[in-house]
Amino acid sequence: MNLVDIAFLLLAAAAVGTALLALLVRELVHTILWVAGFFVVLAALYFLAEATFLGVLQLGVYAGAVTILLLFGVMVTRRSIFRRDAATGIGPTSVALAALVVLLLGAVAWRFGGTGAAGVTAYAPAQLSQALFGTYGPWLLLVGLAMLAALAGAIYLVREGRE
Amino acid sequence: MTDAFTTAGFLALSGALLALGLFGILTRRNFILLLVSIEIAVNAAVLNFVYFAAFAPTTAEALNGQSAAIVIVALAATEIAVGLAIVLGLNRLRGSIDVTGATDLRL
Repeated sequence: MNLVDIAFLLLAAAAVGTALLALLVRELVHTILWVAGFFVVLAALYFLAEATFLGVLQLGVYAGAVTILLLFGVMVTRRSIFRRDAATGIGPTSVALAALVVLLLGAVAWRFGGTGAAGVTAYAPAQLSQALFGTYGPWLLLVGLAMLAALAGAIYLVREGRE
Repeated sequence: MTDAFTTAGFLALSGALLALGLFGILTRRNFILLLVSIEIAVNAAVLNFVYFAAFAPTTAEALNGQSAAIVIVALAATEIAVGLAIVLGLNRLRGSIDVTGATDLRL
């Protein structure tokens, strides 16, 4: 077990822990703070896999924009943002059951995952942009169209004067 | 750089994250928590793309996986924007963002 493995294990534990906390805490604002931490941990995992551009994208889009959007949603829809919700209804039994399922999944993945290829290939971001705008140009156009439709749809949903 | 990753580790991680997201989608009633759960599940998928790309034998194949991951990230961000617009509409219409009360197919 080398240093990269240890880093991966620590980051994986942090990812599962922050995601779990995000779903289990009872204040909505705390949920969003934990999920912001989750996004940052995932960015670190991407950096570990040599996916530098995706790591930066994750930090900018998720840890930045999505977190702020979610916080904005909480602030607009609540009178006092630090309000405790009712109990989650998750007893120790269900937590134990979920832990069992996770352990089983982990054991199965450990048994049948096998060892991977020789190494992680590093590349220049310019190569990624060539693939993205060359081979995947049509996909990028479709994403742009979807974003345009989402923009129009969001404006339609929240516009003034609707019943 | 690295030569000791196994596919087992990240498959277990992304399986666990998908399970967590699914758990949230099935049990939470708050619309914003629902969106957070969906994001966790989507991020598990992106993690899979990134790590399988890291195991790809050639650079071209690694770039394929990462391009797919970028497209997914962009679409997930779009989905959050529309989801929050629905949250605002629901809040204005019903005064709460509890999804159990949203039984009509119109906003």
